[in-house]
Amino acid sequence: MALALKPLDSDGWADTAQPEPPAIVVRALAKTYPGGVEAVKAIDFEVETGEVFGLLGPNGAGKSTTIGMLTTTVRPTSGSATLVGHDVASEPLGARAASSVVFQDPVVDRSLTGRRNLEIHARLWRVPQAEAAPRIGEIAAAVGVEELLERPVSTYSGGQRRRLEIARALVSHPRVLFLDEPTVGLDPRIRAELLDVISGLRARYRMTILLTTHYLDEADRLCDRIAVMHLGEIVACDSPEALRATLGDEILELRIEGDGRAALDALRAESIADCAAFAVGSTVAVPLRERRPVDVLSQIHALGVTTQAVTTRLPTLDDVYLRLTGGRLRADA
Amino acid sequence: MSAVSPEIALRRQPVARNPFGPLATLARRRFQLTAGRPRELFVPLLTPILFALVIAPALKTALHTSTAYEAFVATGTIGLLIPLNTMFSGLSVIVDRESGAQRELLSAPIPRPLLPLGNLLVALATTAFQVAVLLGVASARRIHFDITAGGFLWFLAASVLFTIGMYGMAEVLAGRVPKAEEYIARVPAVAIVPWFLAGSLFPIDALPVVLTWIARFLPLTHGLALVRYGLLNDASALHDIWGMHSASGMAALSLLVVAAFALVLTRAAIRVFSHSALK
Repeated sequence: MALALKPLDSDGWADTAQPEPPAIVVRALAKTYPGGVEAVKAIDFEVETGEVFGLLGPNGAGKSTTIGMLTTTVRPTSGSATLVGHDVASEPLGARAASSVVFQDPVVDRSLTGRRNLEIHARLWRVPQAEAAPRIGEIAAAVGVEELLERPVSTYSGGQRRRLEIARALVSHPRVLFLDEPTVGLDPRIRAELLDVISGLRARYRMTILLTTHYLDEADRLCDRIAVMHLGEIVACDSPEALRATLGDEILELRIEGDGRAALDALRAESIADCAAFAVGSTVAVPLRERRPVDVLSQIHALGVTTQAVTTRLPTLDDVYLRLTGGRLRADA
Repeated sequence: MSAVSPEIALRRQPVARNPFGPLATLARRRFQLTAGRPRELFVPLLTPILFALVIAPALKTALHTSTAYEAFVATGTIGLLIPLNTMFSGLSVIVDRESGAQRELLSAPIPRPLLPLGNLLVALATTAFQVAVLLGVASARRIHFDITAGGFLWFLAASVLFTIGMYGMAEVLAGRVPKAEEYIARVPAVAIVPWFLAGSLFPIDALPVVLTWIARFLPLTHGLALVRYGLLNDASALHDIWGMHSASGMAALSLLVVAAFALVLTRAAIRVFSHSALK
């Protein structure tokens, strides 16, 4: 029985009464490479069916290794992971049949036409021949490459190639779609267009998406939940709103003279800043937590900390990310 | 809302087991990529044709030999053509890896040994085409072959098995060297040096004794002896290896050697590919 993705408005996917088990279940998944590098350290998470889940983290955080284990190109050292019920270690074919990947780097054959690339993907994923042609047409139209299909991929622009990569991954109607840094290296205009495409796909098809990125606006816009990875561990996992809420309603941002970290230590020692405050270079961010900015600022000046600029603003996902990854980096240093 | 057992609700994707569909797709993809670069088909032909049609007759004239030296060298150049073509075919593995296409293939729901096997099918097809062209050109130049139905089967079996073995070697090499430049640098040692030792231009007993013994262990020597037995009805090369009287017995033994070469290298190729594909 071939499983087809269904439009949300076609036959009640959105209103289905039956709860579905998570599409991705990861339990104590770990990877240690030869030489002892612990790339992923016993992480746990679940992704619900139809959810867009983001893995955020700096280079070396373990995102790509995690995706590699879920797509069965990296062998886990311990732990388990299932994709739509298929264990990635013991049933890799089932896991691969249920999923598709948009890789960070291009994977299409440049000397072949766009259509031929999509046909190859359809055949390898065993899409029935009668279904492949209409499906290719539909998906190519959805991502805006239908006019390009008869041209060799070598003639495509970077943005067109990226769209084709997404179309390629969708041809098999995957239950789980992995987007591994899908917009990295693209210029801002193409990136914005591509985010529109991904948002549109989400609205159009019911599929589970696991996205890795280090563009925080991208994660904020697309993801239902975000896991922040750092040094192989998940250091936070929640919705973007909930993650932002950890920093309160307002942040006091100071640009100070001298070392921001030393100043932050001084503020913490006097309980002016809590553990959610963080410093990056000479900038210190202090969650206000219902306090008035002028009160906090007078306390800071009373400590002898000289500020060059002061501003208040709403917390962003960037703040959450910097707090979680920058702080850890400092602790490990 | 009632609880649903995971077995029912997950609706696991059925996995098709028939490997021939994906194998054909992989082979078609490889063929289309190869056909898009005709030089990959014709460049390996140039040197063997030069040997068979120009150098061999020139040597015959220079050496004042009356034997059918052109036929000897024409069949011998098959031993150059097959390694050259299979090694060039192996380059496609590195191209796939460097271009990123291999990642797509590795994420496909197909058994991974099919990836090298799909490449092998195309290497076999292009090699068959090139050998046919070589023999056709040689015939057009009035080089005489003495082919019987049985002889053709010996030739066919030896050529196919030797091509399989050499392609396995190409896959192993491609799996072990990271860059195309390093791969190409190794091609002469793998594809050309053995050719000079394997009785391509002269019988192996013309070599110094030590080299004659080394030649007897080269799969290419056995392959070429079988090709000559099949196309020229000449068992002297087999006799140089085995020293026996039964031509068919010696041919069977040499075929066994070439078959073992093909089997071992194909298994090694699959193993190396699978190992390098899964980190």
